[in-house]
Amino acid sequence: MNKTLTELKDEELIKEFQDNNTIQAYEILVKRYKDPLMNFVYRFVGDRDACTDIVQETMIKFFLNKDSYRSFAKFSTWIYTIAGNLAKNELKRRRRRTIFSISGNDDDKTPQIEDKMFHSPEKIADGTIRNEIIERALLKVKPVYREVVILRDIQDLSYEEIAEITGLATGTVKSRINRGRAQLQKLLKHIYKD
Amino acid sequence: MKNIYKEDDGKYAGMIEDLKNLPKVETPENFEYNLMTRIQNKNFGDSKIKDPAFNWIKFLTPSAVVVTAVILLFIFIPSNQQTDNQFSKFDNKIVNNSIADNKNDASGDIINQGKPPISNGAKSLAETSKSSANTDNSVKNVNPRIPFGYSRSVSLDDYITGSNHQNNLQRGNVVNSGNSETPFDGFFLVEKPDPNLLMKERARIDSVKNAKAKADSLKKVQK
Repeated sequence: MNKTLTELKDEELIKEFQDNNTIQAYEILVKRYKDPLMNFVYRFVGDRDACTDIVQETMIKFFLNKDSYRSFAKFSTWIYTIAGNLAKNELKRRRRRTIFSISGNDDDKTPQIEDKMFHSPEKIADGTIRNEIIERALLKVKPVYREVVILRDIQDLSYEEIAEITGLATGTVKSRINRGRAQLQKLLKHIYKD
Repeated sequence: MKNIYKEDDGKYAGMIEDLKNLPKVETPENFEYNLMTRIQNKNFGDSKIKDPAFNWIKFLTPSAVVVTAVILLFIFIPSNQQTDNQFSKFDNKIVNNSIADNKNDASGDIINQGKPPISNGAKSLAETSKSSANTDNSVKNVNPRIPFGYSRSVSLDDYITGSNHQNNLQRGNVVNSGNSETPFDGFFLVEKPDPNLLMKERARIDSVKNAKAKADSLKKVQK
């Protein structure tokens, strides 16, 4: 039975979970999507602990609201939508906390000096540091652009899938991806000179 | 058609490649264990769907609004039909009273000739209550075309026979006779006669009488 379940597609698995409340089907879907969602949310929020909580919440919401999924949509877009909404809520909460914080907790803020730090060509050539710079730059892109850039260039989703996840028109998705990329390249101009 | 986004993909190719090669972040090892433990313990935190508690106020508010609106409509919006009916009822009542009065008056002449007539006030009161109680009967039995009431009318037959005891006989009272319906002829103006004209008419009548007397005397002489 388990072997058969692992061979099923996402949509078949969720149908099994909806119809027969098969917890194994749910576990398989969790296994399939926990890491992609973790990667997406981490690139979007930039905090590993918060990211783990968000993905957990996503899976709990999936468990509780399994019947709200409709078979005409792709399962991947449905679960990405849940995760994306939770990630946006987290960002909003953080922004609110920053605005209303009287003391101005420095832990929440990204140190500005570090961002403008000069990176020598040798350091940039080092893959680890290069990735770190790109990650930080990505977190500085406006959230509306960042989300679509991550979904397209990191998660490798199609324009149509992104449109479905974000609830935007395909044209809007394309233009936002373009603007996001432009913003990111501007931030990384010392790496991508041409 | 040119695909500008394809071109942009080429423009940012290096950056897109780097983004794709960013290290994949994975969930902690105990992620699934924690998740399943939470589900088994039903520890859903904020994700738990709250069953909305039954709220009487929310339940009754729409119906209360509708009921209030209907009551206000009845109170504040005057119904033309209703007022018309009221007036028509009022008119009918008056007409029926007058009809009933007239009928009693007329039938009283025939049937109750020997009986003394009831005084005006008592009779009208009695008839008012009677007519209001038996409106339908009076409408069926009495011809509604007679336009005057008992208090303002005089039965000519009664007046001639001397059985009329109305004490409010005035010049303007309407005269009724027998069972025949009296059509309303309108109002007439009282005009004072011209004294000169009266003198002339008298003189003319006198001259005619004189002429006639002379003619008679001449005939007697000839005989």
